[in-house]
Formats: sequence, structure tokens, C-alpha cells
Amino acid sequence: MKRKLRRSIVCWLVLLPLIVLVLFPYAVMVSTALKPTSEVMSYPPRWLPRHWSFASFPAMWVQAHFGTAIVNSVVISCSSVLLALFIAIPAAYAVGRLEFRLKPPYRLFLLVTQMLAPVLLILGLFRMAAAIPFGDGSLVNTRLGVILIYGAFQIAFSVLMLSAYFAAIPRDIEEAAWMDGCGRIRAVWHMFLPLAVPAIAVCALVAFVAGWNEYIVALTMLRDRDKQTVTLQVVNLVAGRYSVEWNQVMAATLVATLPVAVVFASLQRFLVRGLMLGAVK
Amino acid sequence: MASAEQASEQAQPVALPQILPPFRRLARHNLPLLLILPSLLLAIAIIFYPFFVIVRLSLSNVSPFGQLRGFVGWANYAGVLADPIFWGALWRTLVWTAMVVGGTALVSMPVALVLQQEFYGRAIARTIIMLPWALSLAMAGILWAWSFNANYGMINGILQNLGLISGPIQWMARADTAFPVEIGIGILVSIPFTTTIFQGGLSSMPTEIYEAARIDGASASQQFRYLTLPLLKPFIQIAIVLNVIYVFNSFPLIWVMTQGGPDNSTHILVTYAYQLAFSLGRPGPAAAISVLMLAIVLAFTMLYLRMQRETP
Repeated sequence: MKRKLRRSIVCWLVLLPLIVLVLFPYAVMVSTALKPTSEVMSYPPRWLPRHWSFASFPAMWVQAHFGTAIVNSVVISCSSVLLALFIAIPAAYAVGRLEFRLKPPYRLFLLVTQMLAPVLLILGLFRMAAAIPFGDGSLVNTRLGVILIYGAFQIAFSVLMLSAYFAAIPRDIEEAAWMDGCGRIRAVWHMFLPLAVPAIAVCALVAFVAGWNEYIVALTMLRDRDKQTVTLQVVNLVAGRYSVEWNQVMAATLVATLPVAVVFASLQRFLVRGLMLGAVK
Repeated sequence: MASAEQASEQAQPVALPQILPPFRRLARHNLPLLLILPSLLLAIAIIFYPFFVIVRLSLSNVSPFGQLRGFVGWANYAGVLADPIFWGALWRTLVWTAMVVGGTALVSMPVALVLQQEFYGRAIARTIIMLPWALSLAMAGILWAWSFNANYGMINGILQNLGLISGPIQWMARADTAFPVEIGIGILVSIPFTTTIFQGGLSSMPTEIYEAARIDGASASQQFRYLTLPLLKPFIQIAIVLNVIYVFNSFPLIWVMTQGGPDNSTHILVTYAYQLAFSLGRPGPAAAISVLMLAIVLAFTMLYLRMQRETP
């Protein structure tokens, strides 16, 4: 017992510098968000505010159009998750469960696709969106355009991850359903999919966080403030401004990142496993 | 398989085969292809088509507003190769990628080894170390930009309180400090992914060989040098190649913190290409740089695929 205690102390000491660095920005964020503007602009800065103030939260809510931004982020992220799942689940079923001649080249296609980040193609994506008519204008400056791009870029990862999970679901269950006279589609619907729900949930969450956190496509495509996402609005509080209200920026960052961080921390084990299956398989 | 198909025929609603006999025959024989078809179509439309758009742009004379004004061959590429900012960005991309990927591997290895031990609070430590994964790079950029703020930032405050500096340092406004700071943050945000890969490798190792080595009197450092490191090699290789691709593509950190400035001293290729395309109105050269970047990423993807085939 004593040996484990000693080992624990050594382990924590080794990890301490990294842990401090990881937590440091969060501490700065909370500290600044709770200060009144006068205290933010004082040198040297203090960790604890002299006067606690929550005024930066309502202020940034107005400044960053935060309510609209959250709706946009939720709509865009959820729609792109649905699009990606709708397309990736059948494909993952084929890769994880069926044998077909084109499987090796298809997997190669997925792996190559996964490496092509939107930032490399952003110029082409922008021009393509600008060439597609939609409503009064084009797909540029529409949430639909962003949803399609997010969905498409999530597919390779989702198929790779889901197929790895699907391959681990025992075949007998589905086959037993066929024996009972269940059609293939019904067997998938009633027997296979319920078992696959946890995997699909992890995949959905990973895709949701990716959409929530995405920056460059949103930056390029979404021009009107009433269409912009949370991530973009928060960056806009800083980018290209002469004077920055840092307590508002930190309050906005706090509200935008804390939910994601809490969800991630509580489901960390499942999420990390899913991320690895999609990334390295 | 035959019985399964019969079964599926019985259970189908009657109307479908009558309305769509060709579709049904296709579905029976090419079910896997039908299932992967939507993903192929969307990926080709949204990932491979823009690729061709960029290649065409890079070979065209493009107006600042984006109209194509004819084929110009290699002129955009020649223009890029004659541009000193491009060479600076290319060099910095190499430094950025090598330092971030190398630094990440060096930090992640001991972290993974420690997290593999059994100790009190390991779950908490692991959760904290994974936390940067949940933070978007753009937000991380903002948080660190504020922390390194010259006048009111916490970093200068701490250094001042410790008596290490006498006055505020203009971290992000100076060429010699801005880029190293960004490299450090790049390392920090790449650690969770890399540590996870290393841990995957470590947990797949047979424990017996360590016991055998201990019985033979191998020290901890000998065990690491002659057992852990060689067995971990495929995982290290994969982590490095994947990180090279991710870090090479990494845009938001630098864009949010310095936008390539001051005086173009923190541009890497992705940020410079973006600035050329969307702020400076020069889509032609931007497309040429994009094509070069795509070629580099595809080369590393091929390397990754070869490694995948070699790892059992």
C-alpha cells in the first residue's frame, strides 16, 4: 500500500507541469470572465478579482449575438451529424459486415479522403459553393452549404469508426433473425441497429463536437452575423479589433467551451476509443 | 447465404418488386455497392470536385474577384516560386511541423508511460490530459493570445511576480517570440491524440516479457530501451505520420493568434495561401500553393498507408 502511495506521488509530480499547462488557459478564462472591465486592464494582473462581476456575460451575449449563434451552431452541427450518419451507417454496415470485391479500394478511398482537411480545399469549396444557385444567391453564406461540407468531411472518419464497431457485433444475432423468417432489412432494423446504438452515439458525438469547434469553413462561408456559429462569433470578438473587451471574450469562450469540455470529460473513455478507431484503423 | 436471400424475399412488401424489378435485382446482387454509393457520391462532389477546381485555378489567370481569364500554364507556380514570402512560409512550415511533431512525441512518451502505471487518481489525471482535445483550436488560440497579451496577460504577470522580467514582453508582436510561442501551444494541443496512440501500443504489450527481463536483472531503463521502444516502434511511426499531416494542415492557432504577422513572420503555407486567396485577392497563386500542399499531404498519406499494411 505504501509503495503505491509513493508511486502515486512520483507519477503526479512527473505529470504536474503538463497538467498545469492544460488547466492554465481554463483558469485564465474563469479569472478574466469574472472581473469588471477596469480590473482586466491593470498590470500586473491578479488571479482573483477584487470585485466579482458577472456583467461580462450579458454584455458578450449581446455583442456576440450569442443566442442566434448557439441556435446556428446547434442547427449546423446536428444537421451535419444526421447527414453524416445517414450516409455513413449503410456504408459502415457494408464494410464491417459484408464481403465485396471493391472493399479494399473503398477503404483506401476513405483513408485518403480522411487526410484531405477542408483547409487544403477551402478555395475550391468556396468557388463550388459560389457556383451553386440557392435561394436568391448561391450556397455561400448559407447554413446548408456549411452543413453539406461538414457532413461530407465527417463521412470517412464515421465509416471507418462505425465499421470497426459493427464488425465486433456478433453475427449470430442477425443470422438467428433470418432463420426466424425476418428479412435482411428487418433483421438489421430490429436486431443489429439496437446493438449498434452506443457506437452510433459515440460517432454522433464526435461529429457534433467537430462541427461545433470547426472554424475555417465557417469563417469562409458564413458572412452574415445572423448565420454565424458560436466559434466564429467568439473569434470575431477578437479578430481585427482595435480594442478588445477581454472579459467579454473570456465569458463567451467559457460559455462556448465548457459544455463541450464537460461532456468530453464525462464520456472521455468512450470518446477517446471512438476517436482512435476512426483515426488509426 | 441462399436461405438468407429467400428469407428476405418473403419478408419484403409485395409492391416493391413489381414497381422496381431492375432496382430489386440490382439490390440483391450489388447490395454492398448500393450501401457505399451515397458516401462515394458525396465525397466525390464535396472533396474531389473542389480538388479539380483548385488545379484548374492554379493553371489560370484569375482576377482578384475570381473570374477566370484564360489558361496561363505554370505562370502562377512560377510567381509563387519567385515570392520570398512563400519561401519563408515553406521554411517555417518545415520548422513548425518538425518541432510540433517531434516535441509532441518527446512529451507524450513519458506521459503515456506514467499513465500506464497504476496510481491514485489516474482516471482524473488522464481526463485532465485529454481535455485539450475538447477545446477547438480557435478557442485555444484566443485563450493563449490573451494569456500572452503584453500589457495585461497572465504570463507576463507571473514572470514579473517571480522577478524573471523587469517589464512586459511583447510576445505576439515580436517575430522572435511569436512563432516559438505558437509552436509550444501546437505541441500542447497535439499531446492528447499522441498519448492515446502510445497508450494503445503500451497496453497491447505482453507483460510476460517484462517479467522475464526483470528476472534476468534488466534495469528499468534497459527495459525501456530494449523492450518498450522497439515494440512501440510501429505506434510511434503511425503517430508521427498522422501528426505530420494534422500539424501541416493546422490553420486556426496561427490564424487566430497572429494572422501570419508581425511582418509575415509567422506564416506557414496554409495561412499564407488563405491570406492570398481571401484577403489579398490573389486566388491564382493561392491555388498553386494549395496544389503543392495537397501533393505533400498525399505523399505522407501514401507513407501512412504503407506503414498500415506493414503493421500486423
